[in-house]
Amino acid sequence: MSIEQQYRTRAKELLSAGEVKMVIGYGAGTTAERRRPLFITSPDETERLVLDSACIANLSGYLVTEGLLSDEKRVAVFLRPEGIRALNVLAAEAQLDPLQVVIIGFDLPKGELKALQGSSVDDFTALLGALKESTPDVDGRELLEKIEKMSPEERFAFWQEEFSKCIKCYACRQACPMCYCRRCIVDSNQPQWVNTSSHTLGNFEWNIVRAFHLSGRCVECGNCDRACPVNIPLRLINRKMAQEVLDSFNHFAGTSKTQEPVLASFKKDDSETFIL
Amino acid sequence: MSEPFEPKITAFVCTYCTYAGADLAGTSRLKYAPNVRIIRLPCTGRISPMFILKALQKGADGILISGCHPGDCHFTHGNYHARRRWMVFRALLSFTGIPEERIKYSWISAAEGLKFADLINNITEDIRKLGPFDQYHKLIEETQAQASL
Repeated sequence: MSIEQQYRTRAKELLSAGEVKMVIGYGAGTTAERRRPLFITSPDETERLVLDSACIANLSGYLVTEGLLSDEKRVAVFLRPEGIRALNVLAAEAQLDPLQVVIIGFDLPKGELKALQGSSVDDFTALLGALKESTPDVDGRELLEKIEKMSPEERFAFWQEEFSKCIKCYACRQACPMCYCRRCIVDSNQPQWVNTSSHTLGNFEWNIVRAFHLSGRCVECGNCDRACPVNIPLRLINRKMAQEVLDSFNHFAGTSKTQEPVLASFKKDDSETFIL
Repeated sequence: MSEPFEPKITAFVCTYCTYAGADLAGTSRLKYAPNVRIIRLPCTGRISPMFILKALQKGADGILISGCHPGDCHFTHGNYHARRRWMVFRALLSFTGIPEERIKYSWISAAEGLKFADLINNITEDIRKLGPFDQYHKLIEETQAQASL
């Protein structure tokens, strides 16, 4: 039996036994290679679930939809390892109770669908711990190294060029499971921190703020990158910041549901070589 | 003849240590460069990275952020939190091409009036050498240009 069929059966069992009130999975999209999120509440609908190598979106963000988990019933969700990390971060930041989430885990190493054993976040601790040690194989590594070698002026010019494309649609924010603030700082107009007009200055500031708020929290699922309609390499900044946090504080976001958020904790002997 | 470049420096300081240090510099009649605009805040933990961006947005050429030495914080650990935040924010700014030399961090206690005066003088000189932050100023000008319909 294919993994897809197994997971459809599992979703059906969970729903008919009343263990979960909803299954969040993937359904067919508008074109053959696209998938869209599917929210299933009845066992009869589980045949619509799709699971294949095109299921790359991180669905964990839907878990913090207002009111979804407030009735204390459980929800099952299809998650890749990045999604499980995101779930851990949300739990560590007290945005949800991980006991209310049943994980239907899968992975796509080199585009091959693979099932992951386990259903609660704690079942994946070893897997996530191993991820921390591995060197991630990210797209655009060459570009990242190229940017790191540039002079500050060149880097500024590079990002100025990229950010000038930004249309402030905030799709990156919408797609990100970590961007759950009810009121985002860019929506504040008194005081207005970031220019909301489409000038490059405001775009620059917005993207800096976004990356800063995700530092030490981003799980590099790539949702923002895929959501960006003008193809700004947002993932590069997030990658850089994740590396920075790992190097400086040995912090890898989302390894456990009780992990202390890196910017809400400190050590007395944190490095301070740059402070005069 | 053009006037010599006078850098604009914004200093975000905590009221319990660095501001008191600046006060001491004043009461000790120490002279330091008048290029700095001091903004006094309750604690370094209150200094949001947004303040740095705002200062740049308003045309600052250099920024100083300063507070109590580790262990001296009036609120016991505001400066420890701030230190982590700066570390990350500094790396981010550097990656986006805002030169590290323009944004300085320091610990200055209430007794270090001399250190404060020296630091301001040194920073002013450093920024004077770097020149105005033209790349950023160009972005600011773009926002101020009249809309053409």
